[in-house]
Amino acid sequence: MSDELLFFTEVSLAGLGSGALLSITALAFVLIYKATRVINLAVSEILMLGGYLFFAAAAGFGLPAWIAIPLAIIGGGIVGAIVERGVIRPMLGESAISVFMVTVGLGSVLVGLAELTWGTDPRTLPEFMSNTPIFLGDVYLSPKIAIAMAVAAVVVPLFLLLFRFWRGGVALRATATDQAAAYSCGINVPGVFSLAWIIGCATAAGAGILLGAIGGISPAMGVFGLSALVVVIVGGLDSVAGALIGGLVIGLVEALAGTYLGGEFKMVTTFGILIVALMIRPYGLFGTTEIERL
Amino acid sequence: MMLNWTRRKILASAAAMTLALGVPAIAQDNQEIVIGGSIPLTGVFGFAGVGIEAGMQDYIKILNEEGGIDGRKVRLSYEDTGYKVDTSVAVFNKLTSQDEIHLYYGDSTGFAKTINPELDRRGTMIMAGASFASELNDPAKFPAQFLAGPDYTEMVSILLEFIAKEKPGATIMLVNSDTEFGRDPIAKTKERASALGLEVVGEIITPPTAVDVSTEVLKLRRARPDYAIFHGYILAPLPEFMNQAKQLGLETKFMGTFWSMDSSIWADVGEAANGFMGVMPYRYYYDTEAAPMLDKIREMRPQYQSTAYTQGFLTAMLLTEAAKRTLAAGQELNAKNLKASLNTIKDFDTGGLIGVPISIPGNSIPVGRIYQYDAAAKQMKPASDWISVQE
Repeated sequence: MSDELLFFTEVSLAGLGSGALLSITALAFVLIYKATRVINLAVSEILMLGGYLFFAAAAGFGLPAWIAIPLAIIGGGIVGAIVERGVIRPMLGESAISVFMVTVGLGSVLVGLAELTWGTDPRTLPEFMSNTPIFLGDVYLSPKIAIAMAVAAVVVPLFLLLFRFWRGGVALRATATDQAAAYSCGINVPGVFSLAWIIGCATAAGAGILLGAIGGISPAMGVFGLSALVVVIVGGLDSVAGALIGGLVIGLVEALAGTYLGGEFKMVTTFGILIVALMIRPYGLFGTTEIERL
Repeated sequence: MMLNWTRRKILASAAAMTLALGVPAIAQDNQEIVIGGSIPLTGVFGFAGVGIEAGMQDYIKILNEEGGIDGRKVRLSYEDTGYKVDTSVAVFNKLTSQDEIHLYYGDSTGFAKTINPELDRRGTMIMAGASFASELNDPAKFPAQFLAGPDYTEMVSILLEFIAKEKPGATIMLVNSDTEFGRDPIAKTKERASALGLEVVGEIITPPTAVDVSTEVLKLRRARPDYAIFHGYILAPLPEFMNQAKQLGLETKFMGTFWSMDSSIWADVGEAANGFMGVMPYRYYYDTEAAPMLDKIREMRPQYQSTAYTQGFLTAMLLTEAAKRTLAAGQELNAKNLKASLNTIKDFDTGGLIGVPISIPGNSIPVGRIYQYDAAAKQMKPASDWISVQE
């Protein structure tokens, strides 16, 4: 392989890896939107909270990673359940913008709580991933990014299958399509809402652990969620496959733009794609046509 | 009882209370010297703000215990800004309407630039702050401001001086965040490097939200520089850069500037942080060289204090020193007199906070020292003598 081709391959792989991270975060937005029609902007902060919960369990209580990871993910799910039951459900029937604004406020509250509990210093998570470099032939791949890719490769198809075949998944889709009809079929619609928030927030917390392992944690790390929001809008707010493909495409394009044009073009390219995608398919590449826009 | 009160009575009582509370406040104003502060206690820069506030308060406490300035007590009046320019401005307006303020601490480059015309218009105060932006180091454009250390360009110049001595003709990669903070020293660094016979082999710019830096590390591997100078970051993404560079067998030495240099943020990075170097204008809390002011700090606070703390401490020292010199000369406390007094600071002893006597002929104090992180000791150790880039 020539040097130039090797470099291109490495950059592309690294881009796909970053994209995988975006996909997992995007998935949290999609899961909640798909069932409840709520754009939960606090996903970014739940992601941050996931990183901190892992930090508390692994560094604070000295638990091994295989216990700390599930604990942080479950913690994220519990936060999701509390938020849904305490804040979102009383908002049922309110306009989409009201609920959206509640999630914005919720994000600020979570950042404040994290700052109060853990302080404002940026921190590093205890090492729990292998540091052995991965070489596919001559091609280098960062081990953490490889793990992110592997997680995305398992989690996203898993959700696709769950939505198609699992009874709970079908209930989720039914509720998303028509709440009244779902009620009349005996589906526990409030239960479905809770379930979507629990799974969505647990996914966000999981993404937070991965992200924290790579870039460290700080109360401000939630800004990463905004990049994932771009992915969701490009891929389609209610499409699991859209989150995967959108994430990979944006990760790849960002990496190539950053390498061959310069780092300052990364964001320009991402938002360029967003504008073009919205002009061509305002509901996202894989989204349902009639979805609501804020 | 309340029901018998007429509106007139209530108004009269309120007026009386206002007078009762207000008069001593006015009397107090004549006594006190108030330092105003737009300080980021939350938000992305919260980690620094907490230390800055503690450092300022401690210096003020020491000063007041020694009798204050010319018998007048000093007080810090501040509010949290969340590191947002609009909030900083609102805090500035609020504090300056509550007290007569001649000394101010600002939290960011954005705020320093935004408030500058207002400082000039008022002509009543001088300001320093958390920003070391090169742009502020211009007494003509920012006559009422100063930096309590070298500006970012001077910081990188100090690093370059060190590199030129350690490895003449070395190759350097510049890694900067795509922010005003990050881009600050790039152009001047290239000039300075070539004057010192060093070669800048490339530039990596990372978006402010970047977490994964795999593609940037690949660029670094391609260039294989002797040194990589990071600027515009606090911690992330430096550890991941260093981790991956190690995995790839790169021998590049990693360097940073002031805000990346606090040892507490590196403490839990572990072995990967070992050898990280950077420029630091102040001594560390645990430095063993003689420093009476550090002894005092260690006495007041037995726990480690961050570099932001020292920055706040020294800034309070310099602000009040300017006020002290102005009052000693029998002059009025205004921007012109305060700044002129500040500029009379020559071969000034900071009690060892800075390892050499300092002078402030302009808007900055262009001295610093290279420190290197020792992961086993969890401390930054001096790697050079104090370097001055005063022209």
